[in-house]
Amino acid sequence: MTRAELTDALRAIVGPRGVLSRASELLPLSADGLPTYRLPPSLAVLPSTRQHVIDVVRLLAREGVAFVPRGAGTGLSAGALATGDTVIIGLNRLTRILSIDPVNRLAVVEPGAVNVSLSRAAAAHGLHYAPDPSSQSACTIGGNVAENSGGPHCLKYGVTLNHVVAVTVLLPNGDITTLGSALGETPGYDLLGAFVGSEGCFGIALDVTVRLVPNPQAVRTMLADFMSIEAGARATSAVIASGILPAAIEMMDGPTIRAVEASIYAAGYPADAEAVLLIELDGLEAGIDDDVRRVQAMCTEAGARTVRIARDEAERARLWQGRKKAFGAMGRVAPALVVQDAVIPRTRLPDVLHTIHEIAARWNIQVCNVFHAGDGNLHPNIAFDPHDADATERVHHAMREIMRACVDAGGTITGEHGVGLDKLEYMPLIFSPASLDAQCRLRGVFDPERRANPGKVVPVHACREWLASPAARTVA
Amino acid sequence: MAGIAGGAHGRVMPADTVVRAHTTQEVAACVKDAMSRRTPLRIVGRGHWLDAGAPASPATPLALDALAGIVAYTPGDLTLTARAGTTLSDIAAATAEHGQWLALDPFGTDDGTIGATIATASAGPLAHAFGTPRDAALGLEVVTGDGAIVRTGGRVVKNVAGFDLTRLFTGSWGTLGVITEVTVRLRARPEVDETWAVALPPDGAIGAACRAALGAAAAPIALELVDAPLAAALGLGTGPAMLVRLAGAAAAMRAQRDALRPLGAAALGPADIWQRLRAAEPPGSTVVRLSHLPDRIADTWQLADHAPGVWRHTTPSRGIVRVIVTNADANDAAATIARAATGRCTLIAERAPAAFWAWAATPMPNAALASRVRAAFDPAGILNPGLAPDAPRSHAPQSADA
Repeated sequence: MTRAELTDALRAIVGPRGVLSRASELLPLSADGLPTYRLPPSLAVLPSTRQHVIDVVRLLAREGVAFVPRGAGTGLSAGALATGDTVIIGLNRLTRILSIDPVNRLAVVEPGAVNVSLSRAAAAHGLHYAPDPSSQSACTIGGNVAENSGGPHCLKYGVTLNHVVAVTVLLPNGDITTLGSALGETPGYDLLGAFVGSEGCFGIALDVTVRLVPNPQAVRTMLADFMSIEAGARATSAVIASGILPAAIEMMDGPTIRAVEASIYAAGYPADAEAVLLIELDGLEAGIDDDVRRVQAMCTEAGARTVRIARDEAERARLWQGRKKAFGAMGRVAPALVVQDAVIPRTRLPDVLHTIHEIAARWNIQVCNVFHAGDGNLHPNIAFDPHDADATERVHHAMREIMRACVDAGGTITGEHGVGLDKLEYMPLIFSPASLDAQCRLRGVFDPERRANPGKVVPVHACREWLASPAARTVA
Repeated sequence: MAGIAGGAHGRVMPADTVVRAHTTQEVAACVKDAMSRRTPLRIVGRGHWLDAGAPASPATPLALDALAGIVAYTPGDLTLTARAGTTLSDIAAATAEHGQWLALDPFGTDDGTIGATIATASAGPLAHAFGTPRDAALGLEVVTGDGAIVRTGGRVVKNVAGFDLTRLFTGSWGTLGVITEVTVRLRARPEVDETWAVALPPDGAIGAACRAALGAAAAPIALELVDAPLAAALGLGTGPAMLVRLAGAAAAMRAQRDALRPLGAAALGPADIWQRLRAAEPPGSTVVRLSHLPDRIADTWQLADHAPGVWRHTTPSRGIVRVIVTNADANDAAATIARAATGRCTLIAERAPAAFWAWAATPMPNAALASRVRAAFDPAGILNPGLAPDAPRSHAPQSADA
């Protein structure tokens, strides 16, 4: 089948408005929020129904064409980009919430359902969907499953993996299977656990069954401000070690605070502070204020100037808005922002943040830190001008050093954004060749032809099987 | 030393053939050797799970009890790394010194190993609040069936680097690889940890009792309903009881205790009640788990009604009823329950005679994918054969040094 024939065949499935082939209409699909990657695809298909998705994938399977499943394109790891002949399958038209079972606290959604829309729909039952990435007003549940996404409240409630009960999967060869079950335990291997976080390499989720969580009886949100990042990090470590498990502990550093305060998202953070901690406690009303006092004391002990407790829902929403829109606010600092993602052991927060600061100074770049301190999940964000070749080069160098510092501290290269293309080069820093090969073997189970999101997650040279294949010899 | 006893279902292994590994390298050498000779291995921690799961084919025991000890523990990080043969009691002792714990309480005793807990994904009553081993495991070191030493995940609490082999190996019953090291997430021990036994009416409606308990304004870390015979065996009196484990700061306890009042007369349970429950089943019992949606708990529960010598308990929030068939006619009673369960819920046999498995076990879902997974990680099918679908015969085994 020629490319034109393939395009026509796809149009026959999804209709003329469901296929994008002109450069101008494909432009929005050439990035996923990470300014260092811009890869225009040559063809995209946007199914409107489940049957469309199935027919499209089966057509591509027959024709041996590779594809990239894509949700809202907010992944930040270049995981949802396609090059060459690879076709993008955009799933963000499948947005329905198929059912909510308030008694068993379950919901079934289509892959393109927007994260926050599920919590809105569940609110009528006093429930919500716990994983809340900062992009939750745009990102999709299917994308969350692909990336095993986190969010501020994952500190207490767990990440996507802990909330997905079952997924109906369309395998790359067109077969449909259900992983996991909402109806009790599943015997056999935890293929659902393997599928969550597989970055679109194992197939497409046709529907996702997730757990809903009861809204807490009581919520207390507090803001502590510090004159050094180290002091904020010490407070975080103290709270984590104390046994109180906050719903969230988020940190923002001085540059972030000032960008937020200068923006329309101004949240009332003290603009002269070098760090603020946004700490949220939730649970039963009984005893929560004692925990608030203990956390307050720990922050003060660590050097907090003030610890403010939100008096009402409006103030709480305002404090959170500053955090959730911090990335947007940084648009004031420079035209582009690399949002990075790494995790370190929580006791290493003070020294690794210090190291990141040194690296930024050495490469003369501006790093803004806004991150999930309670999990040790850093987001060192670098604001820069992508048209400045020298600055771009320095950003790359600094990024590599920051990643290495996190790995050297016993950490990992991504906590919630995924490997995609961006983190491929770091995979050998944390996994041996045998460990990478084992990941390739798992991919081979789901997608022996390596047609689903090819070239992502595991460096191709790590796969023994691939190296032995005729394709590898051709490349060499 | 005597053979490695495999419990009461007649699976005892002779001692003279046991291979005992002290290091991961020794495990890898043993697996490579076994692969090259096509001699199957039975992976053994401290032997508590040998009569659990599907009946394994005869194989040389590879004992990991000497591959023990805590490798890394930084209390401030709330993570711990231990070799597979480390017992749960050793982990409990080390973490208790820092006011922390590994919130997993698999059925059996704390003499079991962390490796077996992860390999079998065994979860007890604490799963109500803290989830199962898949939620606690952060990273593993595994020797796959070709002798490769593979590390999965990491030592931090959040990690999406690469495909999630940690979840794949957790609960794979040693059929994809030999787990040699485990990193787990810990939790701070609550200031107060107390269990209340709420007496339920003898013929009370199970569903209503579960709904009331789940709806109470308390945040128990375990909530378990036990039937009358099991309650009696646990020394809790003569009727069914709801065990409610409350934990938290002392200041928050009073309101939680008050919230239990509408459920019935509550008495503070014995301090070791959970150890008693975990180790309640008499040797030789057949144990099966029935599960469905939580709101179907009463239906699931009644599937084991009228079977003589049967004890039941349930974690209502998870929709799982654990059925212990204690009498000598276990086979008949278990068969009756399995027949009743067919088509009505998921049945997972935890410990059962070999004959029971032949017809009663729920077929492995996704059998084709599962057997490809098996072939990918244990190409020669030498690890715990019988516990998992065997690799398809058409698969050509790789050479040992591949």
